[in-house]
Amino acid sequence: MVVLLAVSSVCALSLGTPYVPPHRLVAAVLEGDTTLAGIVVSELRVPRLLLALVAGACLGAAGLVLQEALRNPLAVPEMLGVSSGAALGVAAPLVLAFSLPAVVQPLLAIGGAALGGGLTLLVAGIGRSPSAVLLTGAAVAAALQAALLVLMVMADQLDLQLIYRYLLGSLSARTWGDVTGLWPWLLVAVPALVLCAPVLSVLRLGDEDAEALGVRAQRARLAALAIAVVLIAPVTAVCGPVAWVGFLAPHLSRWFAPAAGAVRWLPWSAAWGAVVVVVADVPARLALAPVETPAGAWTALLGVPAGVALMRSGGRRRAAAQSTPAASAGVREQLSGPRKTASGVADEVPPAGASHHAHRGEPGPGGPTSPPLGTTRTEDVR
Amino acid sequence: MTRRFTALAALAVVCAAVEVVAGRGMSPGAVWDVLNGGGDATERHVVFQLRLPRLLVALGAGACLAVAGLVLQSALRNPLAGPEVTGVTPGAVLGAVTATALGLAGWDSPLAVVLAACAGGCAGAALLWLLAGRGRGDPAQTAVHGVLVSAVLGGLTAMVLLVEPGELGSVVQWLVGTTEGRVWEHWHLLWPWALVWGVAAWLLAGPLTLLRCGDDIALAAGLSARRARTLALLCAVALTAGAVAAVGALGFIGLLVPHLAVAVFGADLRRSLPGAALTGAVVVCGADAAAQLSSRLLATALDSGRLTLPVGALTACLGAALLLLVVRRTPSRTF
Repeated sequence: MVVLLAVSSVCALSLGTPYVPPHRLVAAVLEGDTTLAGIVVSELRVPRLLLALVAGACLGAAGLVLQEALRNPLAVPEMLGVSSGAALGVAAPLVLAFSLPAVVQPLLAIGGAALGGGLTLLVAGIGRSPSAVLLTGAAVAAALQAALLVLMVMADQLDLQLIYRYLLGSLSARTWGDVTGLWPWLLVAVPALVLCAPVLSVLRLGDEDAEALGVRAQRARLAALAIAVVLIAPVTAVCGPVAWVGFLAPHLSRWFAPAAGAVRWLPWSAAWGAVVVVVADVPARLALAPVETPAGAWTALLGVPAGVALMRSGGRRRAAAQSTPAASAGVREQLSGPRKTASGVADEVPPAGASHHAHRGEPGPGGPTSPPLGTTRTEDVR
Repeated sequence: MTRRFTALAALAVVCAAVEVVAGRGMSPGAVWDVLNGGGDATERHVVFQLRLPRLLVALGAGACLAVAGLVLQSALRNPLAGPEVTGVTPGAVLGAVTATALGLAGWDSPLAVVLAACAGGCAGAALLWLLAGRGRGDPAQTAVHGVLVSAVLGGLTAMVLLVEPGELGSVVQWLVGTTEGRVWEHWHLLWPWALVWGVAAWLLAGPLTLLRCGDDIALAAGLSARRARTLALLCAVALTAGAVAAVGALGFIGLLVPHLAVAVFGADLRRSLPGAALTGAVVVCGADAAAQLSSRLLATALDSGRLTLPVGALTACLGAALLLLVVRRTPSRTF
């Protein structure tokens, strides 16, 4: 990972229209304003790289916080309406031609994000099944998107280009001003993250166990949501909703360290988020060279399939780790088999979410014992 | 049952009437004059060349989307399968946009747009099939995967749009779904396509009703379930592609109208399929009329001429609200 990060940062710094060879980078930065390469590197490429790192780390950490707090491997900012809310908050003044100082923008984004996420959780109810929460989130996100599209229809052609680019999450033409604007928010968010990480690993045990250990589950969950909003909104305000990083990064960290807890996943997830954004920014800058493609489109394009594959194989791996107890359970289930097959398909409604994946992974390693009779039967028929 | 059909047809006529008079610039009296053969040339042009085709396109597209949604839901036995959440609509949008950007199709060769949308829709559905895997155990899981597929396809569409930015303005209206500026060419393109695939869907109504009962029962009744399902999916994709090529991606029509139709007309598809078509037409037409009326009111209230509410935004908001209601009302079900 360190190698990947180093290689992609060097690529990000050296490739581009004035090509600066890697061994001259340090010299270029030291020379500063005197040469063209120095100006390009220190004024354009370094802030862009820093911004990508910070944004990726924020999004990755926020994704992990959301997924752990809602105990839902698919709870990502995009699906909870948080991202679209933040985007709406930023795009609205742009279209309606209010001139606002740059300080207010993150506040608006936070307002929008809190609106989206809060609406979803309010309507869905917090402790409900993960699928219901996700569907509600999708509905809220769709409604917010529709509002956004109305704004886009109203905008004229020039604004439209700007907004469209922004909505896809672009890192182009960001300067030191944008980077320094992020620091105050990070100062608030990082201590909160450190405080909240142990609570997250307790929440993972389930609401009842968490309450027994003295954690107020609902309140902790709301706090986690608030932290996620504070992490996501400033990033969105600066570089737009860079999509699906909050989905990919936690799954990457889990895949590489499946045995660790939430406390250890958190820094890894942040680091992976940073790597993902930096790596995605390189093709975004260079793939269609004179035209700059938005990084968010690349992350969406590559991140979703990769994340789903990781989620699948992670579930399978976890199932393989549990294969010994599962196999014995399978034998037991086979003993009580006839009753099960008689009672038919309706009994075997899977409880959705992560357990469903683990469930479906079982027949592979479980092999000849074929534990869940009802499920395999329906799949064979299909 | 006949009474329900009659009531719905009456509702459709009312919606159509409202739609014709709802646009800005002409009073209802003037429209009535024109329909009686009076009025000056401009008014005649507005009514016959702009409003009537718009009305017909709205009706046809609504019917297409609703039928496609019902066919999909029956074939996959998944109450959450609409064209929007199975990757068909975003795929169709991607296909149409790509074809336009590559210069293979344009508004002067409308059939190519439809074919490209059709291919894109098939690709989207195939992508979902790859991602969700064969065992479509949990409907909600499939729906969630569908949202992921939509995200991927949306990213691709965005790339295409950014490479060819010239078309952006007209395409954005189309991404949200609008009936603005539809003329007779669109209608001439839409109706043969909708008719062919609508008849195909109606012929499949019997097998689809069997498929709704479950594969075991369908097999026992002598139906080749796999072939029927493939045909039904093809039919749904084609209908969606036609509608998308005509009006763009109207949100939530294909997901929610089928439920309404089944609630009103029962689960026998031979009856509820035409019912769904009628309901979809009524809903889209009514939404379009409401959008026009509200943008007229907003324009007078805010005193700005450039505000028009696209119908897709209205249906998306409406659909999202309905979906929220449904999810909230059935807390015990996991979907």
